[in-house]
Amino acid sequence: MSIMEYNGGSVIAMVGKDCVAIASDLRLGNQALGISSNFQKIFPVTDRIYLGLPGLATDVTTLREVFRFRVNMYTIKEEREIEPETFAHLVSSTLYERRFGPYFIEPVMAGLSKVATGGFKPFIAATDLIGCLNFAKDFVVAGTASSKLYGAAEGLWEPDLEPEQLFETISQTMLNAVDRDAYSGWGVVVHVIEKDKITTRTLKGRMD
Amino acid sequence: MIVSKIRQCVHIAAISNRHNNLTVVEKLGRTTIFSPEGKHFEYAMEAISHAGTVLGVLAKDGVVLAAEKKVTGKLLDLSGAKEGGYGGSGEKIFLLNSNVIGGVAGLTADANSLINYARSAAQQHLLAYNEDIPVELLAQRLCDMKQSYTQYGGLRPFGASLLYAGYDQQYQFQLYHSDPSGNYSGWKATCIGANNGTAQSLLKQEYKDDIEVKAAISLVLKTMSKTMDSTTLGSEKLEFAVITLDPETKLPKAKIYRPDEIDELLQAEGLGKKEEDDAMKS
Repeated sequence: MSIMEYNGGSVIAMVGKDCVAIASDLRLGNQALGISSNFQKIFPVTDRIYLGLPGLATDVTTLREVFRFRVNMYTIKEEREIEPETFAHLVSSTLYERRFGPYFIEPVMAGLSKVATGGFKPFIAATDLIGCLNFAKDFVVAGTASSKLYGAAEGLWEPDLEPEQLFETISQTMLNAVDRDAYSGWGVVVHVIEKDKITTRTLKGRMD
Repeated sequence: MIVSKIRQCVHIAAISNRHNNLTVVEKLGRTTIFSPEGKHFEYAMEAISHAGTVLGVLAKDGVVLAAEKKVTGKLLDLSGAKEGGYGGSGEKIFLLNSNVIGGVAGLTADANSLINYARSAAQQHLLAYNEDIPVELLAQRLCDMKQSYTQYGGLRPFGASLLYAGYDQQYQFQLYHSDPSGNYSGWKATCIGANNGTAQSLLKQEYKDDIEVKAAISLVLKTMSKTMDSTTLGSEKLEFAVITLDPETKLPKAKIYRPDEIDELLQAEGLGKKEEDDAMKS
């Protein structure tokens, strides 16, 4: 029994056309026993960055607070909001500090980064529990249903999805993948980040 | 044996050459031995009394801070202060946390180090308790550190005084002052830096209990204009900040004014540069 599967939970992020989406399940379990169907694993970091923290629930809470600390210090010193690329490296270095006694979390982040011309570029990334970064162009997955999420996302994702289509794609990927995993599920939350708005929707899922 | 001989030397020097004893002590790196006059902080306090004035006024619904900038000149690059950031030109007034702003007088390098420490302490509190640090506790954190330099040997104390203007749930709006020795105290209105005596007596005359932010802003600017050396106030010599409650969220809202906002405010208060002044120059 791995500590990474102790509480269950999964997160996925996807790139669309001038938008990104990030989704997670809402289950908190104690091994096979379901405890909560409203356990949030995705947190806003800035107006344009969301961070998903699937893994051991105690570390979800701790890391969320640690990242709030570090992002606040960055913001107040730099006098500007952190960019997604910078934040990804912050996540990576924070986790690597605990290289030989890691937090049991595999973070997934999604955001829009500023480009020199004034627009925004979609950005997604994920790391393993010791902070090895993975910058993907299409989608990233993590959590107990990650193997199933890979399969569903490979089949459903395509380039340049509009926000509404991206929402549909990520929702179907998530709902179908978590149904094949006993440790994930019990509802899904989806955030779609666009340059001028963020849409958050909660989806019903199978309760078994 | 050698150590005790040095100690003796210091002792003899201190007795035989009173006006020179601080220098001797300094050379040996023993700033923390009691001097006969008990004037440890002469140098630190001296540094502060020459610094630009920083003035704070506590109002019923907010706190106002203003500071006189000393580093000016037309070749100074101020482009950073105009765009971006949270406002201010970053010489004397800083955001310490979302609920506290700080004003500093004294050695700038020492002050920067203290500000960094304060920001860190505030975030440490947020991490541990999931709530913003109370204003007095933040002042205490810094004073604990400042005090340690008066007791342990080897290093000089910080040559900086701070004003903390902030808000917390328990005690609402507060204004604190801390000095290099680690003493701190709460105030309704106070002033540090050059001419602080003049400013303080002016504030004593003018301050009324139950003053509101709007009146406090006028009081601060009026006092500032009387204590500063220059005849007219302008954003190139002034930093300004206010902390109030956001009417919607009921959370503290710290606002550090940008240079153009300061000039606008001065115009509105009738203390800014007159049109004819510019005309005279050209």
